[in-house]
Amino acid sequence: MRFVPRQPREGINVSDTHPLVEAGTLIVGLTAIFALIALALIFFVEIALYFIPVEKEVALFEDWLPEDLVTVSPNDNRLDQTQILVDRLAFHWGDAPYQFRVEIDDSDVANAMALPGGLIVVTEGLLDQVESENELAFVLGHELGHFRNRDHLRALGRGIVLSMFFAVTTGNGESSLGIKVADLTLRGFSRKQEASADEFGLQLVYTHYGHVNEAWRLFERWDDRDHALLDFASYASTHPDSGDRVEDLAALAQRQGWPIAGSLTEVKW
Amino acid sequence: METGFLQSLELILNFGMPLILLMMAYFIGTWIERRHFRSIRNRESENAEFPVVSFDTMPDDWSASSSTLVSGSVVVSLDYFKRVIAGLRSLVGGRIKTYEPLLDRARRESMLRMIESARRDGYDAIFNVRLETSRLANSRGDGKGTAGVEMLAFGTAVKFASRFARTP
Repeated sequence: MRFVPRQPREGINVSDTHPLVEAGTLIVGLTAIFALIALALIFFVEIALYFIPVEKEVALFEDWLPEDLVTVSPNDNRLDQTQILVDRLAFHWGDAPYQFRVEIDDSDVANAMALPGGLIVVTEGLLDQVESENELAFVLGHELGHFRNRDHLRALGRGIVLSMFFAVTTGNGESSLGIKVADLTLRGFSRKQEASADEFGLQLVYTHYGHVNEAWRLFERWDDRDHALLDFASYASTHPDSGDRVEDLAALAQRQGWPIAGSLTEVKW
Repeated sequence: METGFLQSLELILNFGMPLILLMMAYFIGTWIERRHFRSIRNRESENAEFPVVSFDTMPDDWSASSSTLVSGSVVVSLDYFKRVIAGLRSLVGGRIKTYEPLLDRARRESMLRMIESARRDGYDAIFNVRLETSRLANSRGDGKGTAGVEMLAFGTAVKFASRFARTP
């Protein structure tokens, strides 16, 4: 038998595809697939949340706090006073299904949030900036408006789904819902939702004080400062523009015949 | 300001470092692979005339004066880029295209080493050539992961009784 020397042919055992093409296809494709799955899950979780009855929601989130919430001392007088104010405002709601809880977040940026289970988080930054109880009452009333419309369940899907993904990928069955204040501050409500919450909040303020004097004074001050300060960037990012809001609120008070003059109540701290 | 700096530092450490490692692994890995393939092709053409067959008995028309076992073995490591891409590929399945050149290199290199060792000792041909492979694990502390592959080529090298026998 004759031996015929022959070189092995190239390209049989090795694919021609450039490694970077392979890498790009895989990275882009897998990212797209995962993003789609995550988005679909978030979508369904958020729809499902809207169908949870209020009693279930309260039972589910009774003692819950966001993961990264830094609360002030429970002996802080501001906590008691804010809680009292919320309770008084909620009294005018009539049949409020929530037992509202107030927590103060140790953060310098001014913000207020309505969270599941009737939890209202206000930041120290906000409390530092309010000059009268009436201003605070409107901010709180606005958050109560979100509860009435059940807006506060929005954007929870992301936290829940992300913590689910995290639990699956890391393999530890972390039972707490991975919802963070940092995530929640990113959620924005639609203009309609905000306007509706504003209307409800202002009505509570009127019912409580008999007038709406200074209710939106905080936003007027922020507007005057020409958005230059970062203090309220957080609140502004999740709430309507201060200037438009002041006009809308004034128009609303005029329409409803709510007096814009009346004696102010000092904050009690 | 300080927290902003720390956050961006954390971001760089979490995402930037693996990315830099990945790019480094890709460029260096590609360079090494190209160089290796060039060397393999050159040596293959130098050794093209040397008979290497996989028959398990010596062909009848060969008459050997002496024989010995020859082997060539090579250990090739994967680079980080290949491993990451293969990891992604393992999620959906399919050809792990980044590993194919690696194993091709290992196969051809081990054959060449076997041939070169046989020639260095004055042998004229090799028959009954076999290839074996094994995985070197324990690149990670938990014993999982792959450090690389070993490829072993071995066969029976023979010296022909006369130079005449080589070209029948």
